[in-house]
Amino acid sequence: MTGPADMSDDMTPDEALALDFALGVLPRAELRAAELRLLSDPAFRAAVEAWQRQLSPLDAETPGVAPPPQLWDRITAEIAPAPVRQAATPARRSLWDNVALWRGFAFAGVAAAVIAIAQVEPPPVPGAPPQILVAALAGADGKPLLSAAYDPLRGAVVLAPATQRDDEGKVAELWVIEGEQPPRSLGVIDIRGPNAHAVPARRLAGLAPGATLAISIEPLGGSPTGQPTGPVVATGKLVPV
Amino acid sequence: MSLSPGAAELSDLLARAADGDAAAFQLFYDRTATKLFGIVLRILVERGEAEDVLQEVYVTVWRKAAAFDPARASPVTWAATIARNRAIDRLRARGNRPSAPLEDAMSVRDERPGADELLATAGEAARLNSALATLEPRHAHAIRSCYFEGVTYEALALREGVPVGTLKSWVRRGLLRLRTELA
Repeated sequence: MTGPADMSDDMTPDEALALDFALGVLPRAELRAAELRLLSDPAFRAAVEAWQRQLSPLDAETPGVAPPPQLWDRITAEIAPAPVRQAATPARRSLWDNVALWRGFAFAGVAAAVIAIAQVEPPPVPGAPPQILVAALAGADGKPLLSAAYDPLRGAVVLAPATQRDDEGKVAELWVIEGEQPPRSLGVIDIRGPNAHAVPARRLAGLAPGATLAISIEPLGGSPTGQPTGPVVATGKLVPV
Repeated sequence: MSLSPGAAELSDLLARAADGDAAAFQLFYDRTATKLFGIVLRILVERGEAEDVLQEVYVTVWRKAAAFDPARASPVTWAATIARNRAIDRLRARGNRPSAPLEDAMSVRDERPGADELLATAGEAARLNSALATLEPRHAHAIRSCYFEGVTYEALALREGVPVGTLKSWVRRGLLRLRTELA
């Protein structure tokens, strides 16, 4: 199926990705990467939403099935605020009582990093999740290179490349720049493919809104000096969603 | 986007849920859970797994209610999208375990009145269906299989006995043509 009659040949990779995501055909890693991209790429999100609107009338064909009555109780149990403690306890619910947070820890095993970030933005209402932080990293020309999202339920920063880049014989290294501090390495990352990557949580302590993420191109194995040595190809600020 | 009276009411319930109003959230659940469970069960087929996913879906709806924007989607489309994505994610997490084809999925259903009237006007569904009917039957069938079952192009190509590139082309060209028809 090739040739001028094949309209799908005329779609850009992003247009095809938006269609595939809305249709629901993506493999898991690409699905996760696309979900993260939705958070920081309005044009991509608009393209996905246009397809979702177009396809959603199909849902009318799917027969409804009543869920078992106890399902509502399970949902309530998960979202209910924890019981209020002694009067001495501040009215705002402590993070220590946040079930979702602890579920996140148990899942990812990365308590320190999650606390460091979640405490910056306490949940505004009981049962609300810790704040997700995102950064869109773009080059000096404004071209997006990747989306980064701090996902509190996974306790990790997940990176979703917006474009592919292959610097032969070199690797990309992710840095965080906090205020006047020198850049701190978050490790070598793979930005060649469309997959989402998780940065180990132990590197994330102290990551907060306003910090800048940057990517430099380094020799294999990462920067030999502990500071960026190659060109910085993209930067972006971490902001709450 | 103009909302039907049902959608306007659901939008209002979501707005109240975003402010922490659990009663409003329960009403939203009551009005939409049958529809969403149907969608999730159709993708996952297995009831227990579908129930787990539906639970995740409504916890997500509660937590993300503030992010709902009635200018961008109807409330049921928004929630149904979360349901489809969660169900597909769970389906992918199963790995290569084969999933039953559509016919089997539908044989386990337990039909109850749905929230179809909230989801889309009958007119929208009819327009989409008549547009689908203008496609090659195999192409329209492939689009439906992707949407309703959450299969990957690779898995569906295998089932249909055609190369992946061919299947992608059927589906993507078909959808682009649908878009033109519906414009």
